[in-house]
Amino acid sequence: MTSNSPVSVIAIDDHPAILSGVEAWCAASRRPINVVATGNSVRDAWTAPGSTADVVILDLQLKEGGPAFGGLRRLVDEGRQVVVYSMRDDEATAVNCLDLGAATFLTKNEGRDHLVEATLAAADERPYMPPALAGALGTNARADRPRLSSREENVLIEWFQSESKELVAQRLNISVRTVNSYLDRVRIKYANVGRPARTKASLVARAIQDGLVDVEDL
Amino acid sequence: MTLTLERYGVMLRSTIFCLCGALGVVSADPAKVPLVLTLLLPALLACCVRLRSLHRPLPPTLLLVSDAAVVVLTGLSQPVLGGDVADAMVEAIVGISVITFQHEWATRPVVGFTLAALGAVVCALGDMFSSPAHGADAVHLARMLVEVGLSRGAHVIVRARARAADRSAATRAALRREAEVAAARRATEREHLATLHDTACATLLMVSQGDDQDWSWLPLRAARDLDALSAMPGFGTESIDLSVLLGCVPEGVGQARVQVKLLVTGPLAIPSGPGLAIFNGVREAVANVARHAGVREAELRAWTEDGAVVVELSDAGRGFAPESVPARRRGISASIVGRMKAVGGSASVASRPGAGTRVQWRWQERPPASPPTDGTRAAGLPGPPGARAQRAAVVRFIRGQLLQGARLAALLISLVAQFTVSLGQLTAHQDVYGPAWAQTSAFICLAAVAATGGAYLLRGRRIPPRVRGWSVGAVLAVSATGAFTLPPERLAGPEDWVFGLIGWHALFLLADLRVRVLAVFLGAHVGLNTLAMFVLGSPTVAESTGMGLSTVSTCGFQFSVGVLLMHLLHDGAPAAGSAAAREEELRTRERIHEGMQRDHKERYRALTATTVPLLAGLGHGVLSPHDDDVRLRCGVEAARMRRLFAESDAVADPLLNELRACVEVAEHQGVTVSLAIRGRRKEVPVEVRRDLIDPVAVVLGHTRTTARVTVVWTPRAVRVSVVGQDFADGRRTGDLVRAHHRASASKVALAKGAHRGSVWVETMWEAPITSGVDLT
Repeated sequence: MTSNSPVSVIAIDDHPAILSGVEAWCAASRRPINVVATGNSVRDAWTAPGSTADVVILDLQLKEGGPAFGGLRRLVDEGRQVVVYSMRDDEATAVNCLDLGAATFLTKNEGRDHLVEATLAAADERPYMPPALAGALGTNARADRPRLSSREENVLIEWFQSESKELVAQRLNISVRTVNSYLDRVRIKYANVGRPARTKASLVARAIQDGLVDVEDL
Repeated sequence: MTLTLERYGVMLRSTIFCLCGALGVVSADPAKVPLVLTLLLPALLACCVRLRSLHRPLPPTLLLVSDAAVVVLTGLSQPVLGGDVADAMVEAIVGISVITFQHEWATRPVVGFTLAALGAVVCALGDMFSSPAHGADAVHLARMLVEVGLSRGAHVIVRARARAADRSAATRAALRREAEVAAARRATEREHLATLHDTACATLLMVSQGDDQDWSWLPLRAARDLDALSAMPGFGTESIDLSVLLGCVPEGVGQARVQVKLLVTGPLAIPSGPGLAIFNGVREAVANVARHAGVREAELRAWTEDGAVVVELSDAGRGFAPESVPARRRGISASIVGRMKAVGGSASVASRPGAGTRVQWRWQERPPASPPTDGTRAAGLPGPPGARAQRAAVVRFIRGQLLQGARLAALLISLVAQFTVSLGQLTAHQDVYGPAWAQTSAFICLAAVAATGGAYLLRGRRIPPRVRGWSVGAVLAVSATGAFTLPPERLAGPEDWVFGLIGWHALFLLADLRVRVLAVFLGAHVGLNTLAMFVLGSPTVAESTGMGLSTVSTCGFQFSVGVLLMHLLHDGAPAAGSAAAREEELRTRERIHEGMQRDHKERYRALTATTVPLLAGLGHGVLSPHDDDVRLRCGVEAARMRRLFAESDAVADPLLNELRACVEVAEHQGVTVSLAIRGRRKEVPVEVRRDLIDPVAVVLGHTRTTARVTVVWTPRAVRVSVVGQDFADGRRTGDLVRAHHRASASKVALAKGAHRGSVWVETMWEAPITSGVDLT
């Protein structure tokens, strides 16, 4: 996918106001994002026109019951790029979604600032790290977590705290570019551990191809 | 307790000596009386010496000699008197003496045993001299030694019980004390926080939230709040910056306005008590300049000099002659000099007509006076609740333990006596009893009573009333059996094993009842024997005297032990118990006092440094509530106080609770705050939480639109961060954060950053590895 070609998405949420918000943000994007379908169930992503969308924006907490981890897993196994967009703000859920193979994890608070960018990054199979996710990864204590350097952990936590890459860069006396590369590297390290998934593999492959990480790093 | 026992021992011995001696002399051959008296009178004298020593301590050697003299002289009187009565008398006196020696010399068992051995030797020699044909009576000697051993054993048991009771009472008391201290501290703390909440915090919140309103009520209210704050115990010890406070000195308005030129070098740390005294004095002195000096400007300087803080206000006005000021004018004497004296400082006024006026305040920290060791300073403090009930409980506890020990001792004595001496008598004289089986079954019955009682006592339980009733009945039956199945002339003789024994059984069965009950029992026992003696035979004078001697030496002894127990349990223990309880109460008060002092110092340290100047400024109109910066400062102070109130909430996550208290104040002021937490919560000490959160309160207080507050728990550290957008006066707040932070002792790291109108402050605390934080 070229860096300016239009991106098609399906937004799944059981709250109409959220769907309207998503549509509005997508319409305002510099790079065209077409919301080809909206729905209130994961099933909508399997039927046309939802099944053709490049990216699935998925609310985890649908009417059907608990978190839709099962629905997420099936979409990922089919090779779909899923941006999880959730009310849940706990680190366990975030880390779980990444492990299952979601492209990224966003809390509803972060929608305005990050949803469009996260969607575009998912369409391009590029890593994207919003602050809430960074906080979850920075404090992740699961046994299967990848090994991070202390600098990487610091960048994660400070990005979570300040929500400003400028402030992080200033604090650590590095450039915003370097802050981004730390965040990308962490995201790739996470894609390289845990449950195997096609989306994770393509993320790693793309990162190596773009020179974001060395094969030796992994 | 040892003293009581010693007194008891001497009294008993002397009484027995007098009684038995009198009986012996009365029944003796009149020709021998003078000789006997020459021996017994010095012995009586020795007894008197010993009695006297109870009130006025004498050297132990003298006491030892007098004790030995009693025994030896009594022993010598045996061959002189001659006859069975003399034997019985000497045996009774020496027998009791060797027993009481064990209590009199309880702290020196060797002396006790030596005296006992001397007694035994004297008895043996006496027997040999008075009736050379028989030689020493081995049974008597053995019995005496057994009695000595039992006496010592009983003493050890009771003492061990008493000690165990003491230890146990002390442990319980310590636990209870901690609980009471905590409760009292919480209660006083709540009261103070409520005061603070209703006064200073409410005022500051109002100032921080409103702008265009009538603030005419504010100075009075702020001054009152400051008074309320100053009235809290422990106030005055926290350090504040005098230079900030002096900046709040009001200059007056209109005609009365005096321009005060403030020349202060750097921060001047001073306890808030003296600080406020100086502030109020300076205020009065500035007003004096306006009123009397005839100039409109004055210079205010402050500096440190040899460890003292010196403040000086000088003007170039018309001056005055200090000695000409009438005594009734109180401005200088009360407001300036008196106030400083009250806080341990000094103030002086130097002036001459035409040469201006110079007022100087000095305050120097003195080493704190050593705390008084007596309880006087704690007298006015709230006492622990229910002290009287506790005292009673302690008394009951100690009494119970002592009683248990005494009963065990009596049980031990009865068992040992029964199975050594009495068993020996029973088996040796089977042919005398008629019938023998009655005596044997009486023996078994008595053993059963002892076993039953022992089973209850050893398990630490009370003997049920029914069991006790049956046991007492059985013992009386044994007494009757013993009295009526023995030839009357042998009663209380070497063949009678019952007479001296069953008093001990009665003692352990009845020890916890009134002494009257024991007296009635012993009376019944003696009565049965006397009845048997007179019904079955016609006793001679010698037999009657022998019976009397036996009664005095055995039943009298047992009864006296009962009286002693009663004394120990109903008088001694309460005295000891209430003394312990009073001491305990005092200790508790002391601890409450200490704890409160420490709490206050810690809690209000940070608060006073910032709140007092603010309230003082508002109270004297120097700080205006219309000023944006003043309102922001009020908001920060209010948030700090809210955080302080939240400290005493019992919640699972105190850090988050206190953080939320600050966030709520900011939200009241219209700031949108997002709060996010990551990682697993751990314990953070309260003083660390203060330092972690305080910068957040400052930043939130200066944020105008939105703020983001986060808490991140990593395995090693906790990081609290705040990002404030649209920051008011960022430079100054940065200084505020840093200035406050420097004063604290906890190892909280602080980092700051700013970018395009937003300010980011992060505090971090790493848990020491030793504190048990898991590193997984």
